[in-house]
Amino acid sequence: MSILLKNILRFILLILVQVFVLNRILLYQLVNPYIYLMFILIMPFRISRPLLILSALALGLCMDGFMNTMGMHAAACVIIAYLRPFVINILAPPGGFEYTQRSPSISTMGVAQFTVYTLILVVIHHMVYFSLELFGFGGIFYLLLKILVSSAVSIGLILLTSMLFYSKGK
Amino acid sequence: MRNLIIFIRQYFNFLLFVALEIFCLTMVLRDNNFQHTAYLNSSEAITAWIYKKYNDVQYYFKLKDTNDSLVAQNTRLLNQLAVDFDRPDTTGRTVTDTSSGRKYQYLYARVVNNSVNSPNNYITIHRGRLQNVKPDMGVISPSGVAGIVRSVSDNYAVVMSVLNRQTSISARIDSGYTGTVAWQPLQNAVHGILKDIPKSARIKKGDPVVTSGFSTLFPPGIPIGYVEKISDKGTGIFHTITIRFATNFYNLQYVYIIGDLGGNEQKTLEATETQ
Repeated sequence: MSILLKNILRFILLILVQVFVLNRILLYQLVNPYIYLMFILIMPFRISRPLLILSALALGLCMDGFMNTMGMHAAACVIIAYLRPFVINILAPPGGFEYTQRSPSISTMGVAQFTVYTLILVVIHHMVYFSLELFGFGGIFYLLLKILVSSAVSIGLILLTSMLFYSKGK
Repeated sequence: MRNLIIFIRQYFNFLLFVALEIFCLTMVLRDNNFQHTAYLNSSEAITAWIYKKYNDVQYYFKLKDTNDSLVAQNTRLLNQLAVDFDRPDTTGRTVTDTSSGRKYQYLYARVVNNSVNSPNNYITIHRGRLQNVKPDMGVISPSGVAGIVRSVSDNYAVVMSVLNRQTSISARIDSGYTGTVAWQPLQNAVHGILKDIPKSARIKKGDPVVTSGFSTLFPPGIPIGYVEKISDKGTGIFHTITIRFATNFYNLQYVYIIGDLGGNEQKTLEATETQ
């Protein structure tokens, strides 16, 4: 399967799972996991940066269309798409990652690096999104707790999904 | 000029990022304006179609509860039929035709999407501009108030659920005092708050809270909820009241849109006074 087709399918599938499964979950007004941003995380290493940012915008706008949030998801997605290359550079061993033709995953980056990579980007996304969503409401403590708890669940789900589908180190 | 082009090429990614971010944030800020009609929303063709398909499946599993609520409403309506009432004696005086005085008209709509767990919740319904649905119409469920129409496409409309930060519905309690019903994102989908009821009003747990009929959105007397808890702290002049919504937002399948036939006149008149 070509990389383009694979990514388009992934785009649609992640949005459907997010909208129809995960958006219906909310525990104690705190746990609200987002898995759709995995699409940005596992785009190929070599993708050009403008393309990455524009596809993140498209992804965010799709989510906004479904959730009536008007630009909040788009803003959060564009930020992590912009920051992604910096995070990869920081985490890369001297000389870069071995498999630059492929995409970030546990087998190409290693468990520790991939976890840290996911952690940084998911936390940034959740910080931006929840700050916009709860703007001026509920107090800083509630906001921080929601970011913390939701990020933990999102990271867990993303790592679990990538273990399920990308564990074969071809 | 050449330096400018070099500068743009060098910082292209950063400039693209900043431009898109400004674009997104502008959308967010514009959306906070209550009167603004959102153009990217779940009444748009593709998202509404997908929600409709999903609902076709999900609907089946909730048939029992839907039936129960419709039967309950039928019973209530049957109790209001004219045939159930004694007519007044009209032999001695002239009775003019009263059917021309109709003020509210109801239109039923299927709910295709409904959220209960974000800070601002919306309901997408399968009725739109072609069926005469307009923004700012009231929406009720079989058991009580559900929301207010916010934006419409040809066949779909997005309704601002009562579970929304911007909710503010004029309400009345049994003793005649009027207040405002609101909802806060920290609350669940079951409870709301009733504000502006003075402490002189006597209320107790279980009292019904109904629409006041002051606005053109809802006719008077439609249930909003029931008083659940009265927690007065400090020395304010108003009660702090938690209410339990009459509508079950977790299981919303059919709603009624209320068209106010004489509403424009009232709105225009009120607008001239407040200017």
